Order: sequence, then C-alpha cells, then structure tokens
Amino acid sequence: MKKIVEVKNVTKCFGKTTAVNDISLTIKKGSTVAILGPNGAGKTTTISMMLGLLEPTAGEVKLFGEDPKQLTVRNRIGAMLQEVSVIDQLKVREVIELFRSYYTHPLSTEELISVTGLHEDVLKKWANKLSGGQKRRLGFALALAGNPDLLFFDEPTVGLDITARKNFWDKVSMLKTQGKTIIFTTHYLQEADDFSERIILFNNGEIVADGKPDDIKNNISTRSVSFQSRDKHAAMTLVESFEEVIHCYEKEDRIYAVTNDTDAVLAKVFSQGLPVKHVFVEQGRLEEVFDLLTSKQKGVL
Amino acid sequence: MHAIMTQCKFEMVRIFRNPYFVFWSLFMPILFYFIFTNIVDTGVTDEDEWQAYYLMSMTTFSVMGSAIMNFGIRMVQEHSEGWSAYMKLTPFPSWAYFASKMFGQLTIHLLSIFIVFLAGFIINDVSLTASQWIFSGIWILIASIPFLALGSLVGTMRKVETASGVSNVIYLALAILGGMWMPVRIFPSFLQRLAEWLPSYHFSDGAWNIVQGASPDWQSYFVLTAYLCIFLLLAVFIRRKQEA
Ligand SMILES: Nc1ncnc2c1ncn2[C@@H]1O[C@H](COP(=O)(O)OP(=O)(O)O)[C@@H](O)[C@H]1O
Ligand SMILES: [Mg+2]
Repeated sequence: MKKIVEVKNVTKCFGKTTAVNDISLTIKKGSTVAILGPNGAGKTTTISMMLGLLEPTAGEVKLFGEDPKQLTVRNRIGAMLQEVSVIDQLKVREVIELFRSYYTHPLSTEELISVTGLHEDVLKKWANKLSGGQKRRLGFALALAGNPDLLFFDEPTVGLDITARKNFWDKVSMLKTQGKTIIFTTHYLQEADDFSERIILFNNGEIVADGKPDDIKNNISTRSVSFQSRDKHAAMTLVESFEEVIHCYEKEDRIYAVTNDTDAVLAKVFSQGLPVKHVFVEQGRLEEVFDLLTSKQKGVL
Repeated sequence: MHAIMTQCKFEMVRIFRNPYFVFWSLFMPILFYFIFTNIVDTGVTDEDEWQAYYLMSMTTFSVMGSAIMNFGIRMVQEHSEGWSAYMKLTPFPSWAYFASKMFGQLTIHLLSIFIVFLAGFIINDVSLTASQWIFSGIWILIASIPFLALGSLVGTMRKVETASGVSNVIYLALAILGGMWMPVRIFPSFLQRLAEWLPSYHFSDGAWNIVQGASPDWQSYFVLTAYLCIFLLLAVFIRRKQEA
C-alpha cells in the first residue's frame, strides 16, 4: 500500500475561526476518495493545504512523501479549484498550449480536447469569456494537462446541469481505470456514494466519519439511543455530557443521542436514573446523519 | 526552457492584444509626435534638432507607459482573479513566471522603440547617425527597468481599479513633470529643480543627450539606479508583508 497523500494532525485557523481542526488521514495510490460535508465544513481549506496553497497553522501535509510545494510533486498533480480562474487575452486553445508546456509529460492537445469535450468553436473563444459550464471544461482540461497521477476536484459539479454532471463522472470513471488517484469534494451525499470508494465525512472542520460508503452507512456512529422524557431539557443536558455521545437532538418529542457505543449510553441512562420512557436503540441511515449535520449548519448560519 | 519560451511568447501576444497598450503606448505617442512636430508651431529655431529631441520624448513616454501600466495592472489582475494562485499548482516556478513576464515586457519595449523610431523616420525623416539610433534605443530599453520595478510596485495593490487609477496618475504626472510632453526649460524654475529628481526626466534626458551628440549624465545613471533600488525594495517588502 503506497501512501500518496499524508495529512498529519493538521489544523488551520483564520483569525479566531478554526476552519480545520487537527485532522489526520492517508490516501493510498489508485483510490477515489470523496471529501463530503456541508458548506463551511472545511473541505476547500483541507484541499488547499494538500495542494500547498495554504500553509497549515499546525501539522504537516505530504504528497508522494514530499512537500506539496516541490516542483517534482507539482509535475504529478492536477487540480480543479472551486473557483475556476482564467487568464485574459488568450484563446482557449492557447491557454491549453501554455499549460501543457509547464509539464514534463503532458497529454497531447487532441487527447485533452477529446477527454474534456471542448468543441472547436469553444477552443477559438477568449478564455475569460466562457460560460460557466465551458469554464469548468477548460478547468478540467488544465487539471489533466500534465497527465497527473493525483487529481483534486473541489466541488466539480456545482452549477452543472444533469447531462454535464453525468459526463463529468463518466470521465472520472475513465481516469480511475487508468489508475489515477482522485480526491474530490462534494456536499451531495449521492455523488460521494456513487463515485467514490471511500468517504471522508467532514463537519465543523473535523472528520466525523471515514470509510467505505457501505461501511459508513452501517457505521456505528449512525446509531442512536432515543427516548421520551418528562424533563426534556435536563435529560438532554445530561446525555450530551456523556463522552460516548457524539451529538444530541430532539425530533418529534423524542430525544436522540447519536453514539458509537449504544450499550454504554444505555447503561449510563439507567444507572443515573434519568426519568426516561420508551427507550429505543436505532440504526440510523447516513442520509439522516448527513441531513442533520447540514441542517445544524444552516441553523448556525 | 520550452515552458519559458512559450510563456514569453504568450505574454507578448497578450500585451499586443491589450487595447490600452496599443492606444497609450503606440497610438498616443505617435499622434503627439505628429502634432507637436508638424501641426503646432513650437517656434523652435532648429527644426531637425527639435524633431529628434521630441522623438526621444515620445519614445520614452511610450515605453514608460507600458512598463508602469501594463506590467503592474496585469499583476494585480492575475492576483485578484486567482490566476496567480492557480499558477502555484503547476511545476512552472514563480521566478520563471516573473522572468518570462519581464522578458516579454522588455521585448515589447524594444518593439515599441522600433515602431516609434520608425514613425519618426517616416513622418519627419529624422536623421541620426547609426550609432545614435542604436545607443538611444539601448539606453531607452535598459533605463526602462526602473519603471518595470515601479510597475511591480503597482502590482502589489489589491484592486484593479485602484491600481489603474493610481498608475494612471503616476504615469501622467511623471511624463509631464519629467518634460516628456514639453521641455522642462520652459517650466517655472521650481518645477525645473523638481524634474531633476524625477526618474522620468533622467530617462528622457539620457536619450536627449545621445541624439545631441553627448552621452547620458552620471546623475541620470545615479538617479535611475537609486529609484530602481527603492521601487524593488518596496515591492519585495510589501509582497513579503502580504504573504505573511
Ligand atoms: N480565507 C479565509 N479567511 C477566513 N475564513 C475562512 C477563509 N477560508 C475559509 N474560511 C472559513 O473556514 C471555514 C471552512 O471553509 P471552507 O474550507 O471553504 O469550507 P467548505 O469548502 O467545506 O465549504 C468556513 O467557516 C469559512 O468561513
Ligand atoms: Mg468549498
């Protein structure tokens, strides 16, 4: 197992906000990984640190075992950032030619054009006068220009219609069969589930779950203990204080405590004599947990 | 090497496609030249000398313009639109990127010098010795470097609007006060004394000296080198501070 990406205890603060809080992860060669999380979860910040565009406040990031800022590393990576930016006064074809010249083993222009589906009439346009979808295609072409081993896509399908989306994922599947390592971010659970072998779920700058999509769905962290109570406020405060409880919420007159260890939570609930009734242990679905995280986020905003 | 060549080529293509460059650095100087040597009666005694003198004024005016405006504003634009950040993802080192831009810009200066000189030759049949043409051209090319440094200082600004506003003012003030539009000898004496401290005056003065059969004064070398150092140090200092 070869580690292509290594993130060790990385934290990033912007002034008082902690965008990413002490995360660690490794990604092995040839895998397709989705970084999933609601807006503001820290996905872009994490990708930017992996790319060496942002310096971590603490911790260390390595690509191919080296500093991401090394030119040898850059020769092997390609990225499409959340905001695709383009140079002015150049035609699309010229931008592609320029980009290809930066790399030691670029893909041929023909290949880039056919992979990204840039039409002849688009190639003749000014690069900074493209529509949103065309800009994405150009961004995709530039990311592939150096025939990279490791690819990053930050929210690649936002603002694309269904056909363009499908098209994009078809190309990604093709890249996957070529053995490339692909890391993408998304806030659509469906996309992460459909196109990755591994989901890293982010919330509030922390990794909440990490594993195969199926495992995550069955992950114990989606289990919960739920009950009704006379004094909801007191019960909730107490349950929230249990170290096994990941978070706690109220829905349809029931209190839910999400946990990895339902047994321990049950034991504590009873041993501390909480006034509870109708206790259930439930196996939640990833969608629910995810919706919850997302809605919690909305509440904050 | 291939990357640097390609980058230089496209930097030059981009400059030529920029309508502001064509207007301010080619059209305006040549139009001014035509007006002030053919239409307006300047009352000079020696026509030939004036025509050669004013050709140098307009060539330096042209080159100074693209150095300050084009170079600087481009940098701000690339920064604010995220292109500079995107470039950092490529294996093309930032020093090579900067060097290609400098080299592309200097080549454009050389071309501008050639075009404006040619215009002078065609419009007024300006006749200089071969060595005067060559040395004045070389002087203008090399002495344009402090203005590139000024351009990179403009390039540290955050917003394109501020950068183009500020650089426009600096450019026109330097041109007028440095005697590029009209000779400083017709200025009030305090403005004449001020001009001697301006890089634009010394930029033109070196070329004026050459076409009058002399060579640039040591003061010109000194003042231009001093400004080069100041602008560069400031630009590097501000960049460091922004990146910290
Ligand atoms: N340059 C920045 N300055 C200040 N705060 C930032 C900056 N970039 C991101 N943040 C903050 O960090 C958090 C994570 O942002 P981001 O990584 O963009 O999230 P995501 O990509 O998951 O939507 C957000 O709260 C955001 O406001
Ligand atoms: Mg983002």
